[in-house]
Amino acid sequence: MTDPAPPFHRLLIANRGEIAVRVMRACRELGIETVAVYSDADADALHTRLADRAERIGPAPASESYLDIDAVIAAALRSGAEAIHPGYGFLSERAAFARAVEAAGLVFVGPPPETLASLGDKLAARRAVAAAGVPIVPGLLVPLLAGTGDEVVAEVAGIGFPGLVKAAAGGGGRGMRRVDRPEQLATVLEAAGREALAAFGDGTLYYERLIAPAHHVEVQLLGDRHGNLAVLGERDCSVQRRHQKLVEESPSPAVTPEIRASLADDARRVAGTVAFHNAATVEFLLDADGNHYFLEMNTRLQVEHGVTELVTGVDLVAWQIRVAAGERLPPAVLAAELRGHAIEVRIYAEDPHRDFAPVAGTVTAWRMPAGPGVRVDAGVTASTPLPVEYDPLLAKLLVHADERAAALARLCRALDETIVGGVQTDLSFLRWLVDEPGFAMGAYDTGLVPERWAGGPELDDETRALAARAGLERRLAAEPGRAVVDLRDRLQPTSGWATRGRAEAVNHRRSR
Amino acid sequence: MSDLELTVDGSPAEAAERWSLAWVDRDAGIARLGDGSRSELCLVEGAGSDWVVTLRGRRIPVTVRSWRERVLADAESAAHLAGGPIEIRATLPGLVVEVAVEDGAEVGEGAILLTLEAMKMQNEVRAPRAGRVSSIAVAAGHTVIAGASLMRIE
Repeated sequence: MTDPAPPFHRLLIANRGEIAVRVMRACRELGIETVAVYSDADADALHTRLADRAERIGPAPASESYLDIDAVIAAALRSGAEAIHPGYGFLSERAAFARAVEAAGLVFVGPPPETLASLGDKLAARRAVAAAGVPIVPGLLVPLLAGTGDEVVAEVAGIGFPGLVKAAAGGGGRGMRRVDRPEQLATVLEAAGREALAAFGDGTLYYERLIAPAHHVEVQLLGDRHGNLAVLGERDCSVQRRHQKLVEESPSPAVTPEIRASLADDARRVAGTVAFHNAATVEFLLDADGNHYFLEMNTRLQVEHGVTELVTGVDLVAWQIRVAAGERLPPAVLAAELRGHAIEVRIYAEDPHRDFAPVAGTVTAWRMPAGPGVRVDAGVTASTPLPVEYDPLLAKLLVHADERAAALARLCRALDETIVGGVQTDLSFLRWLVDEPGFAMGAYDTGLVPERWAGGPELDDETRALAARAGLERRLAAEPGRAVVDLRDRLQPTSGWATRGRAEAVNHRRSR
Repeated sequence: MSDLELTVDGSPAEAAERWSLAWVDRDAGIARLGDGSRSELCLVEGAGSDWVVTLRGRRIPVTVRSWRERVLADAESAAHLAGGPIEIRATLPGLVVEVAVEDGAEVGEGAILLTLEAMKMQNEVRAPRAGRVSSIAVAAGHTVIAGASLMRIE
């Protein structure tokens, strides 16, 4: 058997960090040469170093580099790339970018530009989806404008409180704010509008009633250019902070086979409202009674796509590239079934004890887990500085096993093997999470982080004593002479560490 | 007993008995803490008397000081706390979105002084105590590095 010709000769990845590395891996397996783009802040970044060729596209601010359509297209033309994979975030859902790629005679690895345009406006998408008979979260179908006074308050009150103000052009939780009482509305609209304008260049907002408790469940779609559509199960993304996901799993512990079938039907209906091919995700909220409501459709690869890859065996990134080149999805993909259970945790440079505030710095030590059923998609390595201009995601740790309990045990083991130095990460939260009884049983919802974590536990006595031990031993190892200060140690001066061990044994016997 | 005094996260601490440390990756500073039946990985970074132990996912500041080093450090921090103006510094590098106060303004504890955008998040910098604002060093649109002086509260 001869290898099939690669779908493209050379592909440019218009992204950075772990997702750029992930796309490169798919390209290598398909025999495609890779071109990375980088800003000045990323000249020495992992994705820049790993690509076959790297093109500088501008200074550190994203607006002048990774979001600069002309710079990205020029880099593609300069490097002789035939196709552009946008990753997620940045330009991935910008219709103008997809159009510019096609206008330059290149292939955009993603849905058609008109699909990005119609689904990128979340408000217009809500209207179209409701018209197709799919239940949507109750809310306004018209834009909310800041500073329009009592009328707005009356309209919103008609929907009910509490609710969420969201950005029509939005995603990733930016521009999203909770409203509990009418009098908060004016302030919230101003803050959310400002954040949405800064993040998306469009301050348009809308209002939805808050569904709580709820599971955040999303269905993965993959379509080719010949009308074939694969529905690849769901992911549960209910573990969130600031409306941004931290942990995802598939299948969802809250989804029964009946609910799964119903979600799949509605996801197909949502896709049917637009001309669709390539990869997309339809997000739903699932309430405590098993009712689901359409939230939005994301017309790109998701951060958490790997969870679906593990349970379906379908390489979503490779298939994105292959269907972009015109290939048909084979029966094995169209009829893929869920096998086993997969969980992903995101390792962020964030302090979970300070409200998950992003932290700056340089990653010093970097030790990632390995072994059976473990996958790590990382965008950094030891001695990587973290540019403040971008998202603080360092890596994704994924595990796969036959069933949820085994996947959870595997995740605990993998977290035990993981060390990140130099910056605080959310690893302390993730270690707490895997021991949290509700999460362990699969009985959790979007309230888990705000209600049960709530800043996290204080440093306990055992951890304090172990940290003290580690610090003490480390200093003694650095200054072997110092251990000899102890009278008992002076009797048998050998290595500092052995001496300490004996001293401790003596202490222990005495204390009993 | 050695002559070393320990603090963990700012308060006095005793080292766990029976536990010891063995290298896993000496160059990286990664070691295994064990008591013979249980063990776990940790990372110890630092030098001299100041260390950061990364254990169970947390970065934990640990000081290991002789009596003499401790007395010197205490004297230094006493001088620091004695009063005087408080320097408001950026805890993260970022972009100043808005300065909410003017030179000479009287602010209460917790008042918003300015908004700083870092890693795509807008963070409000608040007054640590009541006082009068002076020496504002930044304006909207400025990019600041971590530790940069933003203003003072007197």
